[in-house]
Amino acid sequence: MTATAEHVTSTRPPEPTRAKVFIVPLIVFTIAIGFAGFLGEIGPLWGAAVGAITYGLFRWVRMTDSLIDAGTLVVAGAVGFAIFNLSIAARDPGVTAGLALQSSLGIAFFGVATGWVVLRHSPGLRPTTILLSAAAWGGGSYMALLTAVQMGFLDRIIEGQTQELTYPMFIAVTVASGVFGATANVSFWSRLSSPFAVGFVVLTSILAWNEIGFSVVEIWTQFTRIGEFLGDFWPPDFFWPRSIGQPETFNMADALLETFQIAIVGATIGCTFAAPLAFWASRATAPNSTVYWISKSFMSVIRTIPDLFWAVFFATAVGFGKPFAGALAMIMFSLAIMGKLLSETVDAINLGPLEAARAAGATHNQVILRAAFPQVAPNYVAYALYVFELNIRASVVIGFVGAGGIGRLLDERRQFFQWDQVMAIVLVIFASVLLIEAVSIYVRRKIV
Amino acid sequence: MTVPDLTPQAMPDMVRPQEPKWPQIIRWGVTLGILIPLIWSVIGLEISPQRLWAAPGEVWVLISGMFPPDFSNPGDLMGKLLESLYVAWIGTLIGAAFSFPAGFMAATNIAPRWMVIPMRGILSAIRAFPELVLAIIFIVPFGLGPFTGALAIGLHSIGTLGKLTSEVIEGVDGGPVEAIGSSGGTRMMQMRFGVVPQAMPNIVAYWLYRFEINVRASAVLGLVGAGGIGAEIVGRLRFRGDWPKAGAALILTIVAVLLIDAVSAAVRRRIITGQPSKSVISKWMIAITGSHREPSMEIKS
Amino acid sequence: MSRIEFSNASVTYPGGLQALKEVDLTIEEGEFVVIVGLSGAGKSTLLRSINGLVPVTGSVKVGDREVVGASNKEIREIRSDIGMIFQTFNLVNRSTVVNNVLMGRLSKVPRWRSMLGMWPAEDKEIALQSLERVDIVEKAYIRASDLSGGQQQRVGIARALAQEPKVILADEPVASLDPVTSHIVMRDLQRINRDLGITTIINLHFLDLARQYGERLVGLRDGKLVYDGSIQNVSDDVFREIYGRAITPDDLLTEEVT
Ligand SMILES: Nc1ncnc2c1ncn2[C@@H]1O[C@H](COP(=O)(O)OP(=O)(O)O)[C@@H](O)[C@H]1O
Ligand SMILES: [Mg+2]
Repeated sequence: MTATAEHVTSTRPPEPTRAKVFIVPLIVFTIAIGFAGFLGEIGPLWGAAVGAITYGLFRWVRMTDSLIDAGTLVVAGAVGFAIFNLSIAARDPGVTAGLALQSSLGIAFFGVATGWVVLRHSPGLRPTTILLSAAAWGGGSYMALLTAVQMGFLDRIIEGQTQELTYPMFIAVTVASGVFGATANVSFWSRLSSPFAVGFVVLTSILAWNEIGFSVVEIWTQFTRIGEFLGDFWPPDFFWPRSIGQPETFNMADALLETFQIAIVGATIGCTFAAPLAFWASRATAPNSTVYWISKSFMSVIRTIPDLFWAVFFATAVGFGKPFAGALAMIMFSLAIMGKLLSETVDAINLGPLEAARAAGATHNQVILRAAFPQVAPNYVAYALYVFELNIRASVVIGFVGAGGIGRLLDERRQFFQWDQVMAIVLVIFASVLLIEAVSIYVRRKIV
Repeated sequence: MTVPDLTPQAMPDMVRPQEPKWPQIIRWGVTLGILIPLIWSVIGLEISPQRLWAAPGEVWVLISGMFPPDFSNPGDLMGKLLESLYVAWIGTLIGAAFSFPAGFMAATNIAPRWMVIPMRGILSAIRAFPELVLAIIFIVPFGLGPFTGALAIGLHSIGTLGKLTSEVIEGVDGGPVEAIGSSGGTRMMQMRFGVVPQAMPNIVAYWLYRFEINVRASAVLGLVGAGGIGAEIVGRLRFRGDWPKAGAALILTIVAVLLIDAVSAAVRRRIITGQPSKSVISKWMIAITGSHREPSMEIKS
Repeated sequence: MSRIEFSNASVTYPGGLQALKEVDLTIEEGEFVVIVGLSGAGKSTLLRSINGLVPVTGSVKVGDREVVGASNKEIREIRSDIGMIFQTFNLVNRSTVVNNVLMGRLSKVPRWRSMLGMWPAEDKEIALQSLERVDIVEKAYIRASDLSGGQQQRVGIARALAQEPKVILADEPVASLDPVTSHIVMRDLQRINRDLGITTIINLHFLDLARQYGERLVGLRDGKLVYDGSIQNVSDDVFREIYGRAITPDDLLTEEVT
C-alpha cells in the first residue's frame, strides 16, 4: 500500500480541548486563591495572578495566544485589585456596604478587560458583552463583600488582617466563574464554558467543604467509637409506659395511625385538587393563557416550599400540636408534586382526540374529562400512589414542628434522650416506609 | 381492480356483546377504597367543618402578619441561606461520589447477581430513612451543626442516587459493551468505554436534580440543629412569633430555590440534549451579548 | 341535510399564512363532495372552517347558521350537527370503543351525566347502533388501541354517526389505511350518505378513489378554489390543472395509471 502525501486532501483538525485538561490549572488556581499566603494581601500581585490564570484559560481553549491579551489581562488584574485594595484600605471606621461597592468597581474593571478580550476574538458578539462580564465579576465580588460585612468578617480587617478577604474573594471568583461560564455556554465560546463550569464546581466544593467544617478524620474517629453509641440505641424499646408524667405522651400505635391518617387525607385531597390544576397548567388543555400562566406560576411557587415549611406554616396558623395542621401541610405538599408530575404528562398527550371531541361540539370541560383525562388516568393513579408514599415519609418530618404524626413522638423521645425508644420509632418508620413502597411498586406495575 | 364485497349486507347479523361488569365493579371498589379511609382519617384527625371553615381566615392572618417582610439584616439571612446551600452541595457531592460505584454494583447488566441483590437491599434500606431521622441519629456522635446535616443528606442521597444510577446503567445500549468485550476488553474496560459514555449525561443530570431536592431538604434540617435557614424560619414562627423576619427568610428561600431550579433545569437540558437551553435566562444572555459561532478550532492571532 | 354556503371565506393562521383565499362555494343538502388538491393546498383548512376549528373570515353558513363570529355556545351547537372523521382516527386509545363513540353524544346529554360517565340508556343505544352501522359492534367493549387501523377508522365513523349529524366532514379518512380497507371505509361513507342523506364532504389524496366514489369534485390549489363540477366530466387534464403537474402513481391508490 502506498499512501503518498499527494493523496492527502483533508487536513487533520486540531484535537478539541476537553474539560478535564482544565482541572490541573484550576486546582492550582484554587489553591492560589484559597490559601494565598504566598501572594500576601489581596492587591496588585494577586490581581496579576488572576489575570494570568484567566489568560491561561483563554489560551487553553485556543481563543487567543496574543501577547496583547496577556498583557491586558495581567495589567487589568493588577489595577483592578489595586483599586479594590485601596478602597478597603480606606476602611476607617470600618467597612460599609458603600465601601464594598467601591471595591467591587475595581474587580468590575478587571471584568471589563476580560469582556474586551472575549469580544476581540468573537465576531457576532455585541459590545454589551463587556457589560455582562463586568457585572459578573463586580457583582460577584459585591455580593461576597456584602455577605462578609454582614457576617462581621470585615471587622477583623480593620486590624489589618487582609487575609480575611480571601474568603469573600473566594465567593466572588466562584460567582463570577458561574455567571461567566453560563454566559459563555449560551452565547459565546462554548468551549470556554467547560473550564468555568469545572472551576465553579471545584471552587464551590472547597468553599462548602471548608464552611461546614467537613472532616473525614472526624467521621473516622466517630466511626471507631460506634460501639459506645450502639449501646445507647440498642436494644430498641418498643413498649415504654404510656405515660411517664407527660400528658402529651401517646403511644406508638396512636402515632402511627395518626401518620397514616394525615397521609391519606393529604394525598386524597391534594391529588384531587391537583388534577384540574395540572390541566390548566398545560398549554393544550388550559382554557386560556391567563389561567395557564396563573396555574403554572402558582405550581412552581408551591413546589419550592419544602414539606416542613408547610407544616410550620399551618401549625402557626391553626395551632401547634394539632394533626389538622399536618393534614393541611400534606395537602399542599401533595398538590405540588402531583401537579408537576401530572402536568408534564398532560403536556405529552395526543391532541387528536381533543380535536375530535371539540369537533363534536363538546365544551372545554368535556374535552378535558372525556378526551384528555382518560389518556393520563393510569399515570394519575401511579402518581397518586407515589405521592402517598412520599406523604408517609414526609409525615415523619412534620411531626417535628408540632403538626402531628409519628414525628411528634420521635421529637419528644429525642428530647428526653431516650435513644432506645428513638431507635424503636426509627425502626417502625423504616418498616412502614418499606412496606408502603413495596405495595405501591406492586400496584404501579399492575396498572401501567 | 376488484374489491371484495365486505359491506354489512353480505355478512350475517352481528351479535352485540354483553357489556362487561368488571369496569363497574372496579369503579365502585376504587371509590369506596378511597372514600372509606378518607372518612376514617377525617374523623380520626378531628377535622370538623368549623375548623375547615376557620382555616383560610387563620392562614390569612398569618400571611398578612408576615407582610411587609423584615429584610433589615440581609447579610445574616444570606449567611444562613449560604449555609443551607453548602450543606446541600456537600451532601450531593457525597451522594454522587458513593452512588456512582454503588449504581454499577446494583445494575443487573453489569454486576453479578450475588452482588446486585445485597447492593439493592442496602440502597433501599438507606432510602427508607428520611434525612431528618438520619440527622437525629448523627447528632449523637457528630454534634449539632451543618456537618451533621451534610452527612445525613449525603447518606440519603447515596440511596436515591444509587437507585437512579443503576436504572440508567441498566438502560444503556448493550451493543457497544458487547463490542468491547468481543474485541478482548476486560470488564473494567467495558464499563469505562461502553457504559460510562452512554450513561454519564443522565447520571450527571440526576446529580443536579438531587441537588435541587437537597436544597429543600437542607433547609428542613435546620430544625434539629443541623444548620441553615430552616431554623431561622421555624424558630421565628414557632418560638419567637417574629413573623415579618420569618416572612423574609421564607421569601429568600423561595427565590433562591426557584433560581437554582431554573438554572439546574437549563443545565440538565443542555447535558441531556446537547442543545443550549431555550430558557428565559439564556434568551436574556444572548440578547445582551449577541451570539458567536465558533469559526474554527485554530488559534487566531 | 344541511346546505353549506361559503361566500368570500378566507382563513389566515396566527403565523400570518393565508391558507384559504376568498372561497365561494355552495354544497347542497345530501351531496357527496370530494375535495382534492396537493398536500398543503388547504383542504383540511376548508373542512375545518365549516365547523369553526380554524379562524375563518367572510361567511360560512351551515344550514341557516353562520359560523363566522358565532359565540362559543353557538359554535358548539353548529358542531354538534357536524360529524368529523380524521386521518389519524383521533380515538382515545385507552378508552373502550363504545366510550369513544359516546364522545359523539357529548353535546346531546346533560353535562353532569357526561362528566360522571353516567350515560343515559338511549344514548348508549345510539352508540351501539352507530357501531352496528359500520359493522364493528362486536368490539364495543374492547380498548380502541387493540383494533386494527381500518377498525379504528370505522369507530371514528361511528363516533361521527352517534352525533346524528346533518353533515359529515372526512379529512383524508383513508390516508393511513391499506387499499382493501380504504375501499371498505369509502363504501361505508358512501352508503351512509345514500341511506341517511347526510351531506358528506371528503378530502382525498387518491384520484382514483375520488373518481370511483365522488359525485361532485372540488379542486383546491394554494388555498384557492380552482375547480368545481361533476366528477363525470373530469379528465386527467383537470387533475393536472389542480395539481399543477402531471399525475404520478403516487396520486393513485392502485398502481396503474389510468
Ligand atoms: N394550525 C396551523 N397554523 C399555521 N399554519 C397552518 C396550520 N394548519 C395548516 N397550516 C398551513 O396552511 C396550509 C394549508 O394546510 P392544510 O389545510 O392542512 O393543507 P392540506 O390539508 O391540503 O394538506 C399549509 O401551508 C399549512 O402549513
Ligand atoms: Mg390535510
